[in-house]
Amino acid sequence: MVMKSENVGLDFSIEEQTQRLINPAEKPQVTQDLSNNVVLTTLNDLYNWSRMSSLWPMLYGTSCCFIEFAAMIGSRFDFDRFGLLPRSSPRQADLIITAGTVTMKMAPALVRLYEQMQEPKYVIAMGACTITGGMFSSDSYTTVRGVDKLIPVDVYIPGCPPRPEAIMDAIIKLRKKIGTEGFKERANLDRTHRYYAVKHEMKVVSPILTGQYLEMPSRMSPPQELVDSGIPLPALQMAQKEVEILGR
Amino acid sequence: MADNQESQTESAALVTTTEVSAPVSQWLTSNGFEHEFLGLDKQGVPILKIDRQFLLPFSTALYAYGFNYMMYQCGYDAGAGDSLVSVYHLAKLTDEVINNSDRFEEVRIKVFLPRADPRCPSVYWIWKTADWQERETFDMYGIVYEGHPNLKRILMPEDWIGYPLRKDYVTPDFYELQDAY
Repeated sequence: MVMKSENVGLDFSIEEQTQRLINPAEKPQVTQDLSNNVVLTTLNDLYNWSRMSSLWPMLYGTSCCFIEFAAMIGSRFDFDRFGLLPRSSPRQADLIITAGTVTMKMAPALVRLYEQMQEPKYVIAMGACTITGGMFSSDSYTTVRGVDKLIPVDVYIPGCPPRPEAIMDAIIKLRKKIGTEGFKERANLDRTHRYYAVKHEMKVVSPILTGQYLEMPSRMSPPQELVDSGIPLPALQMAQKEVEILGR
Repeated sequence: MADNQESQTESAALVTTTEVSAPVSQWLTSNGFEHEFLGLDKQGVPILKIDRQFLLPFSTALYAYGFNYMMYQCGYDAGAGDSLVSVYHLAKLTDEVINNSDRFEEVRIKVFLPRADPRCPSVYWIWKTADWQERETFDMYGIVYEGHPNLKRILMPEDWIGYPLRKDYVTPDFYELQDAY
């Protein structure tokens, strides 16, 4: 009886060791080596597995839902283990979790961010506000009633706001969805049908954020009656000081 | 029940007829600043009604009296067809008050503006806090603050039409704003 040293190593339990001593027939060496070194899979599975294991979400949050989303990023719920790495640029992200109320003012920015993301891209609508408008759906002059009026949504998470576990659940559901996609379908990702858009005939205007907000001329010239009144108002003194500093 | 209501209206009448006044109001009257005293709110803050053409001299007088801190500026709509109101809440903050008492002197000023012509002088040069708050009141109610250094919309998109918090505002029938069913 030949006892191979690797079979009596400490890695095996006592039962297994005695079993091996009683019945020392060795496993066929070839298959063991093979199964340790060779993976058999389909291209589809490999493609989907690599894609769903590195879903990079965009850091997008417009209100309180993002607090829960930020809790999800933290170590307690730790969504890095799903391969989710929050990105601050839409060019690097392939998942957008719309966390928070979307208003008419935010809507063009959201659509633009979505269009800047790389294909294939996915959308998770998080919270009541992004599903139907939530508590603002009864009477609001500016809340978009459901983000799916702007961009196509893959998974909806109800809740106000949803717990991080709910986001985890949504991500698992999205992974399942990605897992059923076909490798050949990737050709369909070519943008043949774009969103309807009118040709913008926009005029270039000078930027409004110039860093000169507090130095604009209208803030330097208090009304004459107030200056004449002689009351030491701090705003007047400040204006005078600013004029001196700027040399105007 | 009816008796109860009657007694309530009686007591209300009593309150209105009883001379309630505040030191600020008396001081202003004695210095020739015309205003209407609207009573005290439930926390005892006097409410004064001022005509818009006297707002600036009135505000400088209050500043000189010691109201150096504007807690907020806001607006409200008194009702469809009724006037728009610009509200200023002032407080007197000194080191003594902050260190020694939990209550400081406050006053609330209301300026009633006609809906057809809602112009109001800006108090930006007296209390700088009014800057963005007057912009917001302009955004929501369309009250035009004359003399404000940068009066434009602050919350709504700049090309928005109408003033959404007015009682007679009609929400546009945008696709995005229709109910999601």
